[in-house]
Amino acid sequence: MKQGFRQCMAWLHTWAGLIPGWILFAVFLTGTAAYWRGEITAWSRPEMRMTDNGPEAAAMAIRELQRIAPDSPSWFIGLPTESDPLLRLLWRAPGERRFRDSVLDPTTGRVAEGGETRGGEFFYRFHFELHMQPIWGRWVVGICAMAMLVAIISGVITHRRIFADFFTFRPGKAAHRSWLDAHNVLAVLSLPYHLMITYTGLLTLMVMYMPWGMQAAYGNDQRAFFAEALGFSSPERPARRPGELTDIAPLVAEAIRRWPEAGVRRISVSNPGDANAGIVLGRGDRHDLAIRRQELVFAGTTGELRAATGNSRPAAMTVGVGYGLHFARFEMPFLHFLFFLSGLAGTAMVGTGLVMWVAKRLPKKNETRHFGIRLVEMLNMGTVFGLPMAMFGFFWANRLLPAVMEQRAQWEIKVFFAIWAVTYLHAAFRPGRRGWAEQAVVIAALCLLLPVVNALTTRFNLGHTLMAGDWLMAGMDIGFLCFGLFFAWAARKLWRLPAPVAKPARAGRLRESEA
Amino acid sequence: MALLALGLAYPGFLLLALAMERHHRDLLGGVPLPPRRRLYTASGWLLLGLSLLPCAALWGWTFGVVAWLGVLAVAATTVAMLSTYHPRLALIAAPLVPVPGVVAWFGFH
Repeated sequence: MKQGFRQCMAWLHTWAGLIPGWILFAVFLTGTAAYWRGEITAWSRPEMRMTDNGPEAAAMAIRELQRIAPDSPSWFIGLPTESDPLLRLLWRAPGERRFRDSVLDPTTGRVAEGGETRGGEFFYRFHFELHMQPIWGRWVVGICAMAMLVAIISGVITHRRIFADFFTFRPGKAAHRSWLDAHNVLAVLSLPYHLMITYTGLLTLMVMYMPWGMQAAYGNDQRAFFAEALGFSSPERPARRPGELTDIAPLVAEAIRRWPEAGVRRISVSNPGDANAGIVLGRGDRHDLAIRRQELVFAGTTGELRAATGNSRPAAMTVGVGYGLHFARFEMPFLHFLFFLSGLAGTAMVGTGLVMWVAKRLPKKNETRHFGIRLVEMLNMGTVFGLPMAMFGFFWANRLLPAVMEQRAQWEIKVFFAIWAVTYLHAAFRPGRRGWAEQAVVIAALCLLLPVVNALTTRFNLGHTLMAGDWLMAGMDIGFLCFGLFFAWAARKLWRLPAPVAKPARAGRLRESEA
Repeated sequence: MALLALGLAYPGFLLLALAMERHHRDLLGGVPLPPRRRLYTASGWLLLGLSLLPCAALWGWTFGVVAWLGVLAVAATTVAMLSTYHPRLALIAAPLVPVPGVVAWFGFH
């Protein structure tokens, strides 16, 4: 069965692609959505957007944190940028490990009331943690990403006519032939992206997946490694004497003088009420390809500059470029959009691969389907169509849940998972083409109606945002409409062609599966 | 201008497609003779190479190369899709797509 190198690779490609395929699809799709992480979060609370990210905004944030969390050992402030225009506040309550977070309301200068949401953060975290315990989720995603790398390389080897079939797409041939063409075109034409994104994805968590180099050189002192290699600064211990925090505005002004283009993105304050308080200003990362920490460390009470960190040696820059390519945080609309398109191509590549596995094994006439094939089809439908449905449902939940609600952000996530679970159930009861068509109709309706729901629940309707040049809100609406049209087209195509006669069998006959 | 990069990469890939028997048959009919095929290949690669220049000019070499790879993917996908569904349009578009890019490029300078 497995003779020859190429057959062997084909077998590897089939199974290294299928087994982690559903998780990979989810990772790709939520990761692609996370390219708009800031925009999605801003769409979720459009009233809270602000443009000021200078000394004034920083001072306002500090005042609010002094009011709501004076005893906290640690504050973080995320200053707004064009693509992520919310001012974020994070603080740790004394004795707690987790950070609480909120958004500053620019009109009141206080934390925003109501409308809590995870927004784009949810997709971003899901992309590498799958909403599991972070450590478990990251390992699962890491293992799947390694399988992805195996699938990409074995796929290139398997693909016999990679150059001859470079532009070949033959719709309307035998089902599995068309799917194979689509899979090949999506894979080959964006191959540099697929390789890059998988590899750099592993790179972002390399210290966790392969800690041995770091352990050999630094023993158990991880902090020393991070400080030296990545320019992390660690806070001083508290003096346990009260101290007054200096005015932050001149410090931010000084940082902006040093970084006129990049500006300040992150502010962290350690032990704010203590004599040993520290203030760290982190440089913005929206204008460089290489993401690396560059920080100014100030003494919190005197405002004296203690250190300027940042490592621009070749190794650090290499890692920084890897991070930069993966996160694509740069604010360059055209390039950013290309990354988004490539992400969609990657998602579609995984999706077509999954669908092809079933298409290749469609039962011939009067043949019953094996249980395994029906299981795979159910998982395919609930993942490939169910996940986008759940994601658009998440946006609906954001607009329709009451603004003031206990655990509101959690409810949005519950809606997401509830819809996703229902799609698997639906897939189990409605296998085959008809089931796919029905899910496509629902997704199309969800997408096409989102701008309507948005117009009814906020004052940011598409007409208004287009006239005002509010491209963030208008772009989200236009994006929803584009997805809606795509799924409507898919639904029409799926509905029209005759459903294949496939009677679900109770006792499926074993079919010899060939890779 | 990003348009110019796309406008160069698209005909570049179309020429590479024309250098292949199957696509030549679908698009123009018949099989190209070897010298003509070499011409297609060489000019195709030349255009792809040239499309790097506007990317680099617009975004610098760091971002330019990254953007160029994205531009190539978009252009190649467009060639594959158009020559499947609208082969005539695929051919007609090839000499036209660089025009807006060139106009925009020289209009801006």
